[in-house]
Amino acid sequence: MITKYTSDIFEILRRGQFICSNSPDDDIQTLYKVLEDEDTFENLYEYFYNINYILEQGDEYFYFSRPNEKNIDIERKIEKAFSWIDILDFLKTYDSAFTVGFRFTVSEIHSQLKNNADLKTKLENLKKIGSEKKNYSDRIKKIIEKLEKDNYITLENEITETYKVLTSLNYLIDLINTINIPEEIANEIPE
Amino acid sequence: MKTFNNIKELVTTLNREEKLLSEMFTKRKSLNYKKNYALELVDFDEERIEKLLQFSVIRENGGFLEIDDTFLEFFEQILDVNEEINLSYINENIKSIKENINYYLEENNENRKYGYLKFIKKTFRKIGIVTLKSVVDLRRNIENTFKNESNYKIKQLKLENLDEKRMIVKDLINQTLSLITNEEITFFKTATDEELNRIIKELKYSLSECTHNLIEIEKQIIDYLNQIKHQGKFIEKLRKLKYLKDQFLILSETDIRQVLSNKNQVIFEKRSTEPLNLSIDFLRENENAFEIIKRVAKRNSDKLNYKPLIAESISDEFLEDSIEEEVMINFDEVRNRFVATSDNLFNFIMTYDFLKEVSFDERVTIFCQMASQYENEFNFEPEFEVNNGIEYALVYPK
Repeated sequence: MITKYTSDIFEILRRGQFICSNSPDDDIQTLYKVLEDEDTFENLYEYFYNINYILEQGDEYFYFSRPNEKNIDIERKIEKAFSWIDILDFLKTYDSAFTVGFRFTVSEIHSQLKNNADLKTKLENLKKIGSEKKNYSDRIKKIIEKLEKDNYITLENEITETYKVLTSLNYLIDLINTINIPEEIANEIPE
Repeated sequence: MKTFNNIKELVTTLNREEKLLSEMFTKRKSLNYKKNYALELVDFDEERIEKLLQFSVIRENGGFLEIDDTFLEFFEQILDVNEEINLSYINENIKSIKENINYYLEENNENRKYGYLKFIKKTFRKIGIVTLKSVVDLRRNIENTFKNESNYKIKQLKLENLDEKRMIVKDLINQTLSLITNEEITFFKTATDEELNRIIKELKYSLSECTHNLIEIEKQIIDYLNQIKHQGKFIEKLRKLKYLKDQFLILSETDIRQVLSNKNQVIFEKRSTEPLNLSIDFLRENENAFEIIKRVAKRNSDKLNYKPLIAESISDEFLEDSIEEEVMINFDEVRNRFVATSDNLFNFIMTYDFLKEVSFDERVTIFCQMASQYENEFNFEPEFEVNNGIEYALVYPK
């Protein structure tokens, strides 16, 4: 046992979640501070490495990865990345300022549907997520829940149902930035 | 076009139409202020509007009214809400100070000299105020633009323009400072005026404050521009990927497969449950364990109890007693009778009265059964006889 938080850290990261610096959850904040300490980080890195997890530090967040690919098939990864692209595109259409620290509610997005035809079309095209739900509000909720499950956003205020974008979104942004579109293809894409 | 004869006339006129003017001022951005609305605010007295039009306080344009530019600018400046940052003032002021310093130095008449000095002092004071004001305006405009402008391209252009303005203000501050400290040394040495000294000091102070503010603004603007650039680039990239994805080209045209195959994050893994077995020691020793078991048991009892499937009740028909009689042949009886005779078995059976109808074939079967069952009690002769096409052995009792 390296710190008394080791098991807490492990439990969170093992589920593919992030430990973010701007999480509204005090416990996560504490864990982030623990991990921020360089010595602790190095010790924990060694510790987790022995059980086949790599503790990694991103821009204001921590996460686990695996030393070598084992039981993750590429199709699954692509599937996941696709749904992230869809959702992020939808939310960026809602508000281009959708990025780390952004706050929003489902009803705000819902009310935008009336004024923003583009947003509405995109929601209707998001067939894979929440298509079994009939009304828009439920479908938006479903989309938000999916992003919440992947730990990119979190419910900050239960009363007003305000969500907050966590620093882990930087991971997604980095991922998208890493994907390379060859220039001749990029030029063919209409604006 | 009439002009106001004195301040009193101007102020009373404005005061009388305060309602209309303040309403029009708040709606100055919407451009269309209908004359009908205006009439309501002046108690439907068209003459009052007419008067304002005569003095050019407001203008009429095809049924719409607007406040005249001179007044609008005046109001905006006084109320500190102007969005345009007009820097030509400072520039002109610097020029006129230079001119007046020259006049001052050339003038011999004390009275006139004093007049020039007064103008110079006034202008210096004005420079201080105008510069500070434009810095404050600049800052407010930058923030407004960044937060409220929805179009990314326009936002970027506006911020770039504001950045240019910032450069001009900075330049003007430098000009003013060099005017005070380097260029007109003679003037400042000769004009030993207490008030001038104080004004210059205040001006220096407010200009250095402006410089500090400008540095901060510069930082802010660079940050905003970077954010826009970054965001804009990112959104563009995202849209492109989305487009490729929707066209089913993303896998073939980008390196997404390769990028993802290098990513071994746990987030991509399936969240597996761990079917760990319970510790026997725990179940045995822990007090909570029993509580948990009870709780689980209780939860299970809530579930529907599946009743075993029951077959339909047996109908009464099947339960009624039904008697069926069948006459059975008692071989022992037949044997006893046969033993008492001297006839052979076949003939005996053919003629035996069984108390019921027994056909020839059945009698043959009975013969065979008897012969095999009581083999030891009968004598089998080696001769055969034929009856009804059947060859049979002659069997006698022993």
